[in-house]
Amino acid sequence: MPTRTPTPKLRIIGRSELITAPIRKQAQADLGFAIEFEMIDSIESLQRVITRPESFDLYHQWHTVDLMWTARSIQPISLNRLTNGAEILQAVRGRSGPSRIIDTVFDRLFVQGDGRLGSTPSGELSMLPLLHGVDSFVYADALRDLVGDEPESWGWMLDARLQGRVAMINDPVLGMIEAALAVEAQRGAAFADIGNLTLDEVDEVAEALIGRKRLGHFRGFWNSFEESARLMTRGALLGSIFSPGVAQLRSQGAQITVSTPAEGCRGWHADLCLSAACSGEQVDMAYAYLNWWMNGWAGASAARQGYYMTFPARVGGHLAPGEWEYWYEGQPAAHALMDPYGRMAVPAGHVREGGSHRDRMSRARVWNTFMDEHTQVVRRWREFLAA
Amino acid sequence: MVTEKTETRAFYLIVQDWLAENIARGTLPAGARLTVAGVAQRLSVSRSPAIRAMDNLVAGGVLTPLGRAGYLIGNSRDGAEPGRVPVVNLFSLPVTFSDTDEQLNAPAGWERVLAEVAASVENCIPFGIYRMSESAMCDHFGVSRTVTREVLARLHERGTIAKDRGSHWVAGPLSARMLDEQHELRRLLEPAAILMATPRMDRSVLAAMGERLNLAAAMGPTLPTDVMDALEADLHDTCLAAQPNRRIAVSIAQLQAARIVNRLFATHVVKHDESDLLQEHRLVLGHMGLGDGEGAAAALRYHLEADHDRTRDRLKVLSVFADPAVAPYLSRMF
Repeated sequence: MPTRTPTPKLRIIGRSELITAPIRKQAQADLGFAIEFEMIDSIESLQRVITRPESFDLYHQWHTVDLMWTARSIQPISLNRLTNGAEILQAVRGRSGPSRIIDTVFDRLFVQGDGRLGSTPSGELSMLPLLHGVDSFVYADALRDLVGDEPESWGWMLDARLQGRVAMINDPVLGMIEAALAVEAQRGAAFADIGNLTLDEVDEVAEALIGRKRLGHFRGFWNSFEESARLMTRGALLGSIFSPGVAQLRSQGAQITVSTPAEGCRGWHADLCLSAACSGEQVDMAYAYLNWWMNGWAGASAARQGYYMTFPARVGGHLAPGEWEYWYEGQPAAHALMDPYGRMAVPAGHVREGGSHRDRMSRARVWNTFMDEHTQVVRRWREFLAA
Repeated sequence: MVTEKTETRAFYLIVQDWLAENIARGTLPAGARLTVAGVAQRLSVSRSPAIRAMDNLVAGGVLTPLGRAGYLIGNSRDGAEPGRVPVVNLFSLPVTFSDTDEQLNAPAGWERVLAEVAASVENCIPFGIYRMSESAMCDHFGVSRTVTREVLARLHERGTIAKDRGSHWVAGPLSARMLDEQHELRRLLEPAAILMATPRMDRSVLAAMGERLNLAAAMGPTLPTDVMDALEADLHDTCLAAQPNRRIAVSIAQLQAARIVNRLFATHVVKHDESDLLQEHRLVLGHMGLGDGEGAAAALRYHLEADHDRTRDRLKVLSVFADPAVAPYLSRMF
């Protein structure tokens, strides 16, 4: 009896709020092969990707491509195997239009002659850029009773007037950046490089956090966007949040405002990386998946929860005119708009806080990143959570 | 973690056996006189094990005490005047020990413990800050507080550990700042050292190092840990050791953070692609082989810069990992 060879399948690791159920379902339906999606929302995905490249084919990364490249757990993506390779080069070379405001996405995009990553175009990519956005905090309209008409500021996050009413993200990488923005606002002086704090600066931020926490300042800490939304409906007046959390709160009718703080926002981008161990048939499947993303359907679905696609022209055809105008152009919603799950999320007439794609992204003051002193960040963050 | 305790015979027993053996063999003749200071000096031990050994030999009838004058070999004075009995020049005797009696030549107790503790500390400090327990060290190694304190003092001297505000010994973290600071020192010290070392370096030693580089290059871009360790030792230990300034040598020996990071990265993450490193090493050795100290210094400076960039990237990857299993005398603080 001939032995049955196992059906080849594409193994993809991602985060649940980025690679949502509708996107996973559509990819399965459109691509003619089996896909195994594994959703890991913690640092474990990165540990796994770095130490066991043979355990996956594609990884939806965010702010870690340099680490994976150092660990040699990913392989270059050939520009000429991508259906819109020319478009990517054009965006990078031009550095005009939408791509100018997201320079950071391209900083480590190309494999350089010396084997390192850089922004000078070449035929090999470290990752395929997919989605990006800016995050800030959200506040209940009742917050204005405490702070009057003061301009929105990250400083509120540590403001004594909000004692017991602040919700924070549990993750040290993103949390430390947001806390640093808050400390800056409070002390009135900027850090030299807020995206790469020194050891002493990490300590300064940690001390400020620990001091507030001991006074009972924080309402809670969240791990998922569902938890962030829940905290806002259960006593928090202000909380850091991802845009799917905003969509969820809006669909529940919560009276909230997404801030556009004076100090700027925290930018992020999420991209696709190809495992160093991926070979044979799986490589073809992997490129098929990359090119599937480039057709724009997934980017349009992601737009409905507030995310931008790095090549926005790809998305246009998949969004209704009212959707494009609201999400990308910052215009009032012509009619009520749905979230990716088909739930009513944006009432007619609503205007997205922060305005258009360009306006919002130009407020990215700092991008998600692993700081050089990451060990210290994690250590002090644990100390903070335990305080 | 289970660590085998090294069997150590007390020094006084080694002294006692050495004396008894030489007396039995007649190389220490009956009627000759021994002094505590002489025995201690010859065997490189302190006075107390010498006294204890000789008192035991007195009890066994092998020696006779002469009060302040020392000890007489044999069990009777035979009427001799202590002052007139000649003192044996012990330096005329070879100090030979059987295989199991190498302890006198072996490092002292704290030195062996130090080597293991230093290795355990190095393996964990890129992952955070660890508190060190003196009593757990005593239990783990089966040694006294005196020994553990000596070990901790040495680690403190090296800059590996420090006392926190609560007066506890803590190790780590091996931060990006520590790497940067050590790098700044190395780029000042090592090129200066190689400049002084170049004219003192044996060409045949350099040729052998060059041969090892060739063999390593033939093995491929990634190398086994022992091969890498040997290459690093060739350039950063052996070559630099040829310079004569001992203070510089001591300072350089303490700047090990980069080596620790690179070794841990190769162990926990992936073997590096060492093509660039091999080429950089080859350039330094090539200049040394020509007797061109300035060229060697410039090549070494380039190598240190390039290696620093690589090491910093690797430290960042290590920082993603949870703390590894550690020795029982270490405990993680947050």
